Amino acid sequence: MISIWKREMQGYFCTPVGYLFMGVFLALASVMFYLQILKQRSSDLLTFIGQMSYLWMLLSPVLTMRLLAEERQKRTDQLLLTSPVSLPGIVLGKYLAAVTVLLLTVALTMVYALIVAIYGQVYSGELAVGLGGFVLQGCAFVAMDLMISGFAGTPVSAAVLAFGGNFALWIMDMVAGSVSIGFVAQALDFFSLYARNEPFLMGQLSFASIGYDLSFILGCLAITVHALDSRRYRGA
Amino acid sequence: MIELRHVSKRYGATEAVHDLSFSAPDGQIVGLLGQNGAGKTTTLNMLTGYFPPTSGQVLVNGMDMLAKSRQCKRCIGYLPEKPPLYDEMTVRGYLRFVCELKEVERRAIPGHVEDIMAICGLTEVRERLVGHLSKGYRQRVGIAQALCGDPPVIVLDEPTVGLDPRQVVEIRQLMREMGKRHTVLFSSHLLPEIQQLCQRVIILHHGRLVREADMSELSGEGTTLRLRASIAMRERTLLPALKGLPCVRRVKVLPTPHAEITEVELECDRQGGERGDPQTQLFRLLCGLDAPIRMLYPLGDSLEEVFLRATSEG
Repeated sequence: MISIWKREMQGYFCTPVGYLFMGVFLALASVMFYLQILKQRSSDLLTFIGQMSYLWMLLSPVLTMRLLAEERQKRTDQLLLTSPVSLPGIVLGKYLAAVTVLLLTVALTMVYALIVAIYGQVYSGELAVGLGGFVLQGCAFVAMDLMISGFAGTPVSAAVLAFGGNFALWIMDMVAGSVSIGFVAQALDFFSLYARNEPFLMGQLSFASIGYDLSFILGCLAITVHALDSRRYRGA
Repeated sequence: MIELRHVSKRYGATEAVHDLSFSAPDGQIVGLLGQNGAGKTTTLNMLTGYFPPTSGQVLVNGMDMLAKSRQCKRCIGYLPEKPPLYDEMTVRGYLRFVCELKEVERRAIPGHVEDIMAICGLTEVRERLVGHLSKGYRQRVGIAQALCGDPPVIVLDEPTVGLDPRQVVEIRQLMREMGKRHTVLFSSHLLPEIQQLCQRVIILHHGRLVREADMSELSGEGTTLRLRASIAMRERTLLPALKGLPCVRRVKVLPTPHAEITEVELECDRQGGERGDPQTQLFRLLCGLDAPIRMLYPLGDSLEEVFLRATSEG
């Protein structure tokens, strides 16, 4: 698993993918920071984090599109699947590599908190909870998009499908608000990654949301492993 | 040793491999021969654990591939038809990665990688990106990755396809060297390649095994025996006598510089009949004609003939 993680990290930073993800994320986050914090002379970092969370929807597919789909397209999966490495080990190695890039990016966003701390007041506990929820939400998007990459045949189709999936999750939130049938609205609300993030954005440490996010991540990874295994059995 | 027992593979309604059983003994170079679509790649993919068979058993050193997949995979190095290379890695970085995958002891990896690069002639391109290498070098890197971890069994799927003649010669030489230390199983549809390299050949046709034999066994099979003879007698006198022999089916005269010497290739019935085997009948005939035999030897069946016979029967 560690060797897979190392190779994927090399894959991110020996190609433009890692830099592209971090660069675009930070560029867009900086625009948001200017509009939300600097221009309005606000120190409300939680609202800013809430806005940044929409970047996962846009950019998570960049991190995950190559992970499994490219292996399949280039047939390099033959090396992995004929080596003494387990399928969960392969999937986890790849997932953790994507999460590492995500964490590095989030670490760089701490510059914004530093700027606010210089000119205003930052509540560190509130910020830590907000960032924790933000990271968990990002990890959940990465897990889902990795799963989609496992089903896709090419990196491009993986990216398009992952973006579609992320967009559907976002739409789910809006649909939940406008649906009049009670249990449907409740169900949509229950499964929404954005609704689950709301307590964190209010500075509340929600174990229910943590539990949901972790279950979501594990579920996606388990489905990915199962998808790869079933493809092996089909010989596809 | 690797062994397949009654292995079948279905892709939906299509049966790619049907009830296949064979083994590759230790220390041999074994060739898997078949036309395109004969099931060679499917067989190798099952054998290396890339995917499991629909039914049957794959055994590596007596261990079941499904039950002890990890241990089995440690014993096999595999070069698929398209080498599984990461273009953004250097040759050395890639081989290090494969060594880590194959669970080579961390401290031993640098030395092991250097050895493999030396064996495969990759030392001079060690720091180059795999994506920048020529096809021949990429194939060498593919073979090098199969050698990582020093597995006892090396499986190569059409290792010389798409290479230029010089590269083909180099890769074949590399395979010969590998055959001295490993059991090598490789697939090919090139008959001369199998003939040059293998001690044993397995012929597949439409996913079924139609022939399995040592290369030495292949000469001297079938109902036809071909003999080549050089006889000190004029063609005009000799030919009618040869054609009169009951076991002789066909006589082909070969050109010679001397009119008194006739060189012929005979196609005979291997059984010969009541008068003995074809060589005995020929000897007796020529003794009777007082025609000295300058040379007489049987011609082995070419692999091409064996292959055509096996696949037409199958």
